[in-house]
Amino acid sequence: MFVKDKQPTQVCVNSHTCFSFKNEENLLIAMEKQNIDVHFHCREGFCGACRTKLVSGEIEYIIDPLAFIDDDEVLVCCCIPKSDVELKTY
Amino acid sequence: MKYTTFNQQPVDTMQEHMFFGKPVNVARYDQQRHPIFEKLIEKQISFFWRPEEVDVSKDRVDFLKLTDAEKHIFSSNLKYQTLLDSVQGRSPNIAFLPIISLPELETWVETWSFFETIHSRSYTHILRNLFNDPSAVFDDIVVNEEIKKRATDISKYYDDLIFYTQLYQTRGEGVYDVDGYTHEVSIRNLKKKLFLCMNSVNALEAIRFYVSFACTFAFAERELMEGNSKIIRLIARDENIHLTSTQHILNLWAKGKDDPEMAEISKELEQEAKDIFMLAVQQEKEWASYLFKDGSMLGLNEEILCQYVEYIANQRMAAIGLGQPYESKSNPLPWMNNYLSSDNVQVAPQETEISSYLVGQIDSEVGSEDFEEFEL
Repeated sequence: MFVKDKQPTQVCVNSHTCFSFKNEENLLIAMEKQNIDVHFHCREGFCGACRTKLVSGEIEYIIDPLAFIDDDEVLVCCCIPKSDVELKTY
Repeated sequence: MKYTTFNQQPVDTMQEHMFFGKPVNVARYDQQRHPIFEKLIEKQISFFWRPEEVDVSKDRVDFLKLTDAEKHIFSSNLKYQTLLDSVQGRSPNIAFLPIISLPELETWVETWSFFETIHSRSYTHILRNLFNDPSAVFDDIVVNEEIKKRATDISKYYDDLIFYTQLYQTRGEGVYDVDGYTHEVSIRNLKKKLFLCMNSVNALEAIRFYVSFACTFAFAERELMEGNSKIIRLIARDENIHLTSTQHILNLWAKGKDDPEMAEISKELEQEAKDIFMLAVQQEKEWASYLFKDGSMLGLNEEILCQYVEYIANQRMAAIGLGQPYESKSNPLPWMNNYLSSDNVQVAPQETEISSYLVGQIDSEVGSEDFEEFEL
């Protein structure tokens, strides 16, 4: 996949683990690299197991999410951060 | 209101709710009230598979090597799953299609049911290979007390909704005596029955398969019954997408994005919805105890299986706004995820690179960067 070079974005999870996003394929992979416990099943947006609260910031979906997500939630298996983001896992 | 297979009055489906509006006439998808259902149809069809593609012949050798307790676990789970898919292969069609008013939802329900019939056929495929005469296994499903207990709770909400829909569509609203019982048929009452039925289906897709899945994958972890495990992985992937659809329906109602009356009912019957879910959890735990009555299997016991059911129930209840009533916050069976991840689902060796076969999918997007190396 073609990924443009960009400034490293900061990802903060559960207000204690912060790291910079290094163009991983998606946020789920990036969080797993930090040993953050995230639920997952399908890893392609249709099961909804990785629903995570987006406290602040913006994300961009690289796969169209099919699972139900609330207005303040994101599916980390199919998105990347567009700005610095703050997340809260369930 | 009488059901018609082709409503001859013009209908603007953009103004209809998911259920209990005007019957669908033209199966058109150019305009959609809830486009998510067409997306689910596309995804589900891309997952198409046939049981015969999976070679289960090695499983017979493995099966003969299992202990009696393990044989009981294995065949009981297959029986239970056979029951679940027998119900799911017909009920969404019979219960929901006569009352659906959106073409995309109608087609989704038909697609969903069709996949459940693939699952049913796969159980026969597995059992034919394991037993010279699989009929004893199938015959036991309707007489086995443990399975019957669950069958009652699974089918009763469907049966109730179907019966009331029949009364409504033949006689309209009113109070009717049928076989000594009084039935109050009103749209409000029908909507309540629909809500409870959808919650029951949601709980079924959400947790009723998972005790069985865990046992199957625990066998696979020991490199046993791997043909069966491949099939169950495909089934698990399908069930996940079915669950997504019922979660969408319940959330569209609860958040007032469809029928405002259903939003009211969602609030009114929230406790009942919770009870349906928690009863299913309880029954799954009892099922785990029945499975392990003669002894457990390597890598799995009743306690850890019950924790897993609670863990998965927490997630699935939170997804429809019912909170997380159980203690289990972390996954007691982390290896399960390897079997539930879409990337690891594989049918034939030539498909190792792709998890679904979408035919004729060509990326037609061309950006300026694609021409970077060209020079004139």
